[in-house]
Order: sequence, then C-alpha cells, then structure tokens
Amino acid sequence: MKLRFDDSVEQFRGQFRSWLADNRPDPEVMAADPPLSTGHAPEWVRHWTRAMFDAGWLVPGWPPELGGRDAGPIETFVVLEELAAAKVPRTTNVQGLGIVAPSIVDYGTPEQVRDYAMAILRGEATACLGMSEPDAGSDLASLSTRAVLDGDTESGEWVIDGQKVWTSGANYADFCFLFCRTEPDEPKHKGISILLVPMDAAGITVRPLPEIVHPDTPDLNEVFLDAVRVPATNLVGRRGDGWAMANGSLAHERGMVWVSAVMGLEQSLATLLDQAPSLLAAMGPVERALATDQIVQIAIDTHAARCLGQRGFAKLARGGSAPEQALMKLYASDCRQQVARVAADIQGADSLELGAVDDDGTHAVDEPRGTWMEQYFHSFANTISAGTSEIQRNIIAERVLGLPRG
Amino acid sequence: MDLEFTDLQLELRDAARNVLEGACPPSLVRGVHEGTATPDQLWATVCELDWPGLGLPEELGGLAMGVIEVGILVEELGRVAAPGPFLATVTQFAPAVQASASSLRLADVADGSCTGALAVAESGRWDPAAISASAEPVDGGWRLRGIKSHVLDGATAHEVVVLARGDRGMGVFVVPAAAVRASTSPTMDPTMPFATMNLAGATVHGERVLVEPGDPRADEVVAVVLDEATVAMALSTVATCRSIFEATVAYAKDRHQFGRPIGSFQAVKHRLADCFLAVERASALAWFAALTIAEEDPRRQLAVAMAKAATGDCVQLLTRDGLQLHGGIGFTWEHDLHFLLKRAVTGELLFGGAAFHRARAAELMGLVPVPEEAA
Repeated sequence: MKLRFDDSVEQFRGQFRSWLADNRPDPEVMAADPPLSTGHAPEWVRHWTRAMFDAGWLVPGWPPELGGRDAGPIETFVVLEELAAAKVPRTTNVQGLGIVAPSIVDYGTPEQVRDYAMAILRGEATACLGMSEPDAGSDLASLSTRAVLDGDTESGEWVIDGQKVWTSGANYADFCFLFCRTEPDEPKHKGISILLVPMDAAGITVRPLPEIVHPDTPDLNEVFLDAVRVPATNLVGRRGDGWAMANGSLAHERGMVWVSAVMGLEQSLATLLDQAPSLLAAMGPVERALATDQIVQIAIDTHAARCLGQRGFAKLARGGSAPEQALMKLYASDCRQQVARVAADIQGADSLELGAVDDDGTHAVDEPRGTWMEQYFHSFANTISAGTSEIQRNIIAERVLGLPRG
Repeated sequence: MDLEFTDLQLELRDAARNVLEGACPPSLVRGVHEGTATPDQLWATVCELDWPGLGLPEELGGLAMGVIEVGILVEELGRVAAPGPFLATVTQFAPAVQASASSLRLADVADGSCTGALAVAESGRWDPAAISASAEPVDGGWRLRGIKSHVLDGATAHEVVVLARGDRGMGVFVVPAAAVRASTSPTMDPTMPFATMNLAGATVHGERVLVEPGDPRADEVVAVVLDEATVAMALSTVATCRSIFEATVAYAKDRHQFGRPIGSFQAVKHRLADCFLAVERASALAWFAALTIAEEDPRRQLAVAMAKAATGDCVQLLTRDGLQLHGGIGFTWEHDLHFLLKRAVTGELLFGGAAFHRARAAELMGLVPVPEEAA
C-alpha cells in the first residue's frame, strides 16, 4: 500500500508528459473542428491517433507493431491519467479503439487485423458496434438480425437482414462490428456470430436518433440492414461464438474503463467546487447548510470512486481478481448523474438555460456537456447503455456474490 | 497510488483471521453479551502474539510495524466483533502517547501489562473545539476538572489519556484510572463498553503531562490522535459490516421460499448489490485514510472525515438491510446477527457519526464561512 507509484513509474510519466507537451493537438484546432459523433474523426483526430500509434503510446500494453511499447498495466494507467489531465482525448472513437480493434486482434484473421484493426489504430478508420436491437436491449442474446451464408466459406457472401438501434457513431463510422444470428436452430447464446460490415455497403440505411439534449449532434442511430452482402471472409472468429466473444470484447480494458469515468466525475466536481462559493454565499444559513451537505456527499462519492477504482486496479495489476471492478460502472455512472443533479439544484433555475455546448474537442461526444441540467439528462446515457444499472446489480449479485439466477 | 496489501500484509491478515477463528468464536461474543464470559482468555492470546506492540518500536518491546499492519489486526478483530482492550489501548491510548513524543507506559502496553483509554468527548460531542474540561496549574503540575463522556474501556483501562483545556490552550495528560471516577451504564454492545468519567480534580505531574497547555504542538497532536483513533474505529466498524454482509448473502442463498432461494429474487439481489457497494466504498475510503496517516500526507484530515462519514452510511445501510433480509430469525436474541448489528452501530457513533464527519469535511473543504469575529 502506497500513495505514490514507484520512481520508475514516475519517470515513465515524465517521459510521456514531455512527449505529450510536444505533440498534443493544438487546442484552437480542436475547438474549430470538434468531433460530431463517436464515429466521427476530424482531421486533427486522425493525425493525433497516428502520432500516438507511431510513438507507441496509443495502446501502451501492446507491442510496437500494434501501436504500443509492451508497457505494463500501471504504465498504461499513467498514460490515460496524463491524457485526461491534459484534456486531450485518446480517441473520439471509443468503441473502435476500446472494443472493436482489440477484439479483431484477439479473434480475427491476419487479413482482418491488417485491413480493419490496423486502420483503426492508424487513425484511418472508425468503427461502430452493432449490438442492441429494438427487441434485444438488456437481453442482448435474443437479437434477431440474421445473416445467411450464400456460397462457401471462402468465396461466398453473408446476406444480412435486420435492424440495430442505439448504435453509437454509426452516422459517421467506416465499418460496423456487427452481431447477428447465423445459427437460427441453436440455443440463443450459441447462434450468434460477428461480421465486419463496411457502412457504405448497399442496403444499409442509417437514421440518427437525436437525443433529449443536444439534438443537433446525435451520436445514437438506428441501422437498417436490407439484404446487405459482405464477403464470407468477414466472419470474425468462429460461427456461433459471437456471444462468448462479446463477453470477451466487452471485458477489454475492463481494468481501465473506470479511469475516464472517474476523471470525468472529478472534473465535474471541480467545476461545482469552483462555482460553489458564489452560489452558497447567496443563500440563507439553512439552505446553505443543506446545499453544503449535498456537495460534501458527492465529494465523498467522487473520492470513493477513485479509491475503489485504484484498489481494483491494484489487484488486477498483480494478476488477482478484483470484485471492485464489477462495481465501477454502476457506481461511477450513478455518481456522474448525482453530481449534475446536485449542481442543478444548487444553481437553481439558471441551470434550465440551454447553454452553449462546450464543443471544444477536449472530450468525447458521449460525455456530459452543456449546463448542469443538460448534463443531468445526458448522464442517463451512462446509466442505461452498456448494461443498465439494474443489469449491473444483477451481474454483481450473480457473478460476484454468487446468488442464484432468478 | 497502490491501495492493495503487500504479500506480507496479506499473510498477516490470514494469520490473524486463522487465530481469531479459534480464539474468538461467536459463542464468546454471545457469552460477553449474556454476562457468562469475559474477554480475558482472548486478550491473553492477543498478548502472546505480541499484537499490542505490533506498531510500537523495538526498543519498547514492539514489532516496529506500521499503521497499515495495526489496521489489519483492527479489521480482523472487528470482523468477529472481538471484545477486549485492543482497540482503545492500541489505536487510542498508544497513538496519543506517541504523537506527544513520549513513551510513557508503552513498554507495558507492548508486553500486555498495561491497557489504556482516550477521553475526548464531552456530552457526546467529538469536536475538540467543544472540550470544556479544564486544566489548572497547581504546584508544578495540573489539576483536571470536568466530565468526559463515551470513554471506550474507561472503567477498566489502567491509564487514561485526557484532553483538557488550560488558559493558554489544549493539553494532553495521562491519568491513572484510580485518580478519576468512571461510571458505566448498560449499553447495546458490551464488547465495546464505554464510561462517563469525572476528572474529579485529579492532579498530573511531570512525564504524565504529555503536552502542556500553551505548547504550540497541541493542536496538531490532538488532530493526529483523533485521526488515528477515528480511522481505526472506521476500519473496525466496516469490517463488522462486511461480516453482516457475508452473513446476509449466505442466508439469502440458504433460505428458501416459494420453492427457491430468496437470493434468486431481484428485489433481494439489488439490495445486496447496493450493500456490497456500501461496504467496498467505506473500506476503500478507510484504507486510503489509513495510508495518509502512514505516509503523513496533508490530505489526512479530510480523508479521515470522509472515511468515517462513509462508515456511517455503510452501517446505516447494512444494519437496515442485513436485519430486514434475515427476516424474523434476525430479530431473535437466539440468532447471532444482532451482536454484529450492535457492534456496528456502536462503532458508527463513537468518534462521530456520518453527519458530524460530513460537517467536518465541509469545513476542511472550505465550504463553511469563517465567522466574522474569527476572520
């Protein structure tokens, strides 16, 4: 147990920090050309990803040919921490870099790695993740988008029909990592496969779903697939293994995803604490006391989220298991919702104004933006997507606590 | 930041857990509650293992380990709701003596022959600013007057550290138990008995004056002592909560209704998931706070306030849901659950509950306006 990392880690931090200072994207350029969805990569993002890749900082834990430097988990953590502190996004295409590319590296053919994973890593392409459907949300395994093989496994084609929904970034992504049913006679968990589908393929229609706040920059989309044909060789991994791979791919970087959530929470708290003195000063003594207590509670939660994340991370870094990890998605997303709600209450009716969205490129599009009440509504993206808070509680109860399935 | 134990620390934890399984079974805790057993044999075992001196320097007969290692023992003792003088002696009395750069009676603490207590609160208030017990200079020493409340082990400890105020500021004194009048009334948890203490004009001389009123070190010494005692109370109490949690999860798997374990119902699962989060949250905060003490980090006071506030949240949730989910059986004296519940609420409120520590945190975060006369 130590408050600080070893000197060697801090040297590594210094090395990255100085590289970052010399190579970071220009804030003015970032603000002038903000990303419009998680599938959108403006010119500066593409250059930035490529620069990170070439220097071996993009995925530090991977070998140099994949954009890394064979770094350990603590060093990777330090890189994420420094990027967040400098307000430079590691990527705008969080699904592509965080889930799609690692899954292709793990399960794909050498050709798929070359044509799809490397394109993401070099900043040449973005990807979206085609999972949820109108009737398959939390119950993802019941998805019904169907792919039928026309011809043989070498020269044939998959023919895809169905519909996806809540597909982040599909309005700009170059290809989709698509979950579809290929074995209709197998049990639902064993009939799913993954296909790589270029988003410009004939038969794909993308309909953006403007969200309840910031409707002018939608990130979520419906994706309709009508007799879409892709080569048989676009199958990732084995037929029918899609569900098992989904659990693997969603687990990618599981030890680290909390870092950006917690740092976002810390930034929100810092903003609230900046505003607090003038807001509190205008209050009478009782209101002030009540408001102060709300701020303290969210400050404790923010600090606790950091400590829990670090403790889980320390266990994983030593090769152990970390039950804390299962809590982080639930806890961090609840806290982010709460900080915005507390701030809106304390700020009062001013929080209802539609603010100028700080689209300055410093954060991913799927993060809370705008005024406090806008941030509050936006924060439901995190408590609903990627497994709702209710599903997270089921997962904790069943997988960590060992309670029987209902 | 590395918030996980080292391999050696994990070995210490496993060894302590192993010992306490035999030395502090639920039947001992029940016996103390029912007045048919004493903690004497358990304390003898604890002393044979050199636990009282674990964190004391070797020249005093200690094992020279740190705050983290002591915290590991505190957790294991809290886990089984162990009775006995460890908590007050090792995490309250000894740190007060050490923080004052003294070694008074610490060699006796290390060999188990001396137990101690710490008298802070008055009328249930834990804020040192609320201390009105007085220290008045008399022929080379100090005469102490006032009433201290909620002194853990106050009626049984050999020595008591007393915080009292002189004209020129706070002082820290060590008083032999015989020199003050302690009285107890029955409380919920006899494994953590506390006393009301009338200082009764006891006079203190020489080395027993740890910090003289007016000594510029006084405020910092008091702050350090309170932080150490408070973190230990948090660690002990969260560990008790973890035991409530584990007992409740086990019960939810075991108890069948409508032909299935009650733990298969989502309403029960979600409560237990939230309980798990509350325990992990408070535990992580308490260990962070312990680490700031171990490394003398400036975030110490705020970290301690946050940890004890979260401990209060944790106790409130775990006692509520632990009892509720056990149903009728948990409501009976015959079941062992209530010994954990009572230990938890005792640890929640000694050294301040959630509201008190959130108010402290607010002050430390600068959210409370400084009164004009003090500004």
